[in-house]
Amino acid sequence: MWEFLIRSLDASTIFTIAALGELIGQRSGILNVGIEGVMLFGATLGFITAQTTGSYLLGFLVGIAIGGFLGLLHGFFSITLGGDQVVSGMGIWILGFGLTTYIGSAYTGLLGLERIPSVLGLSPFFFVGIALVVITWFVLSKTSLGLRIRSVGENPAVAEVSGINVTRTRYLCVVVGGMLMGFAGAIYSLDYNPVWSYNFLMGWGFIALALVFFSMWNPFILLGGSLLFGTLWQLSFNPEMVLPGVLSRYIWRTVPFVITVGVLLLMATKWFRTRWGAAKPEALGQPYVKEG
Amino acid sequence: MRVGSYEFKLAKRESLTGWRAASISILAIFVALILFSFIFIFAGINPLTAYSEIFDYAFRNQFGLPLTLNRFIFLLLCTCAFIVPYRAGLWNIGMTGQFYVGSLAAYGVLFVFGIGGASETNYSAWLLLPLMLIAAALGGAFLGSIAGFLKGRFNINEIVVTMMLNFITFWLVSFFIKEGGLFMNPGGRGESFELPNSLRAPVFMDVPFTIIIAIGAAVLLYYMFARTKFGYQIRAFGKNPDAASYAGISKFKIPFLVFVIGGALAGIAGYHYFAAVPGVYKIARNYGTFGDLAFYGIICGLISQGNPLAAIPIAFLFGGLSIGGRNVQGKLGMSFGVDFALLGVLMITLVAFQFFYRYKIVWTKVTKESLDVGISN
Repeated sequence: MWEFLIRSLDASTIFTIAALGELIGQRSGILNVGIEGVMLFGATLGFITAQTTGSYLLGFLVGIAIGGFLGLLHGFFSITLGGDQVVSGMGIWILGFGLTTYIGSAYTGLLGLERIPSVLGLSPFFFVGIALVVITWFVLSKTSLGLRIRSVGENPAVAEVSGINVTRTRYLCVVVGGMLMGFAGAIYSLDYNPVWSYNFLMGWGFIALALVFFSMWNPFILLGGSLLFGTLWQLSFNPEMVLPGVLSRYIWRTVPFVITVGVLLLMATKWFRTRWGAAKPEALGQPYVKEG
Repeated sequence: MRVGSYEFKLAKRESLTGWRAASISILAIFVALILFSFIFIFAGINPLTAYSEIFDYAFRNQFGLPLTLNRFIFLLLCTCAFIVPYRAGLWNIGMTGQFYVGSLAAYGVLFVFGIGGASETNYSAWLLLPLMLIAAALGGAFLGSIAGFLKGRFNINEIVVTMMLNFITFWLVSFFIKEGGLFMNPGGRGESFELPNSLRAPVFMDVPFTIIIAIGAAVLLYYMFARTKFGYQIRAFGKNPDAASYAGISKFKIPFLVFVIGGALAGIAGYHYFAAVPGVYKIARNYGTFGDLAFYGIICGLISQGNPLAAIPIAFLFGGLSIGGRNVQGKLGMSFGVDFALLGVLMITLVAFQFFYRYKIVWTKVTKESLDVGISN
């Protein structure tokens, strides 16, 4: 049971960090549905780097860098070219899925490095995740940078008039967001489950995307949601650790996805919307074209 | 931007003719293939050799061509499954799940008739083949209807829902065909029981009758969008749901029905791949890689700009590329997933080219006077 809790917290760390990346981008008005692709890239390139150089640090750096690069690419398509953000995000996801399948398959198998030491029994990244939540919350709601980001996400035209550089702010957010997603992917493949296999993420990124919608764009609610889904996810992997012999393990694997649909349904009800109001960034998903 | 005495500017397109759209799409494919040649170069293979191998095997080889045609049927069905919701402004990325449920439903018919695992049966193929096909369509339609219902009734993001359904159904297939599942092959290799010999789909030159369904569906959909009231309603809804609903088009009916139609088509693809393609005739152990190929449908749909007729040649080309890619991977000793890498490169190139569907580059010669004034607007 103890081991189960630890693994759950480790899993929730990955959800937290990836979803935080998405949250930052969305607060600035940019929707990136390609989280899964960014995570696959971060995980695969981080894994290959760490295995060939023997250095975890380099692995993480490469994971973060490729994440930032993909964020930049998404920014280029959706900010500079003003394209449909869903199309661009889909493109990044399929690029990630397709290319990493090819690049990674030569490295199928175990990472083969000594495990990253744990801190108080937990993965050190758990604490990094908590710190990132607090920092993101602080920056978004207590600093002038956060005010700029939020105003760009709510009403870019007004923000532009009041002297905020919409393009630069949005680029900053998608690149930082991408770096966090790539980092989360690298944590998966270097720390949580250091094995490479075909399409190994199986939905972590899409659950992280849904988590941002649940969180009402609030980092602390996001952390709560991640803890819940980390536990559910772990339960779906190892149901025998908690409820041995109940249901097939394949049915357990569907549970996090079924619950995601259930929560989305709950959030769409009139009761929920009147009670919690709409916290959604007003300009989310809409390309902004500067007048002139 | 000014180069020499020419002024280059981006201008928004007022309209886009079919031929112009087609030429942009062809250019996009061409650029993607050029970009993809870097994959071969990194693997130490001459791209020209690789491409000639791919095209030779896919379109001229007596073993490759039937594979290409079978892949083409699958892709065309998945593309149509994507296009119908796409024309209504909705994203069906759940072809994978609808494909799985379609194949489960087709095998479910055999299970219900008590002939699961038998190699022969007394039931007539005239009875069971249509039933399997209808079950596959209904199964896919059912899964599609979930996303359509949630979108139409509660306005829940259809991308997240269809993706969740993909994962749910992926594990459901495992539940049915592995570890003592209802459809498990008694041989116990993690695959479903085999189709009785007498129920194999009729084939003509190694290509099953499903090719007629796939092409027929594309033609009918084209007609539906161009000529019928329902097709017009879908397009109106896709352009502007609010305006459409003021004009009396139901905000529930359209999302629901487009997902039902799309799901049914992807479900038939499930019947096609696991019960009609020669040599398979069971739900394979690696059904996940087949399911993931359904994502090619997104690219075909986007590149054909939602036109079901244009999707026919594109699905044929991509079917050939993915088959040829898989062949070249074995032949030239590349690692697994060349066809998936191609999928990724095509997709991202296409995303970049989306820009040119909306904008064009215009250039004008800068006249002397305006140079003297030196003010540009």
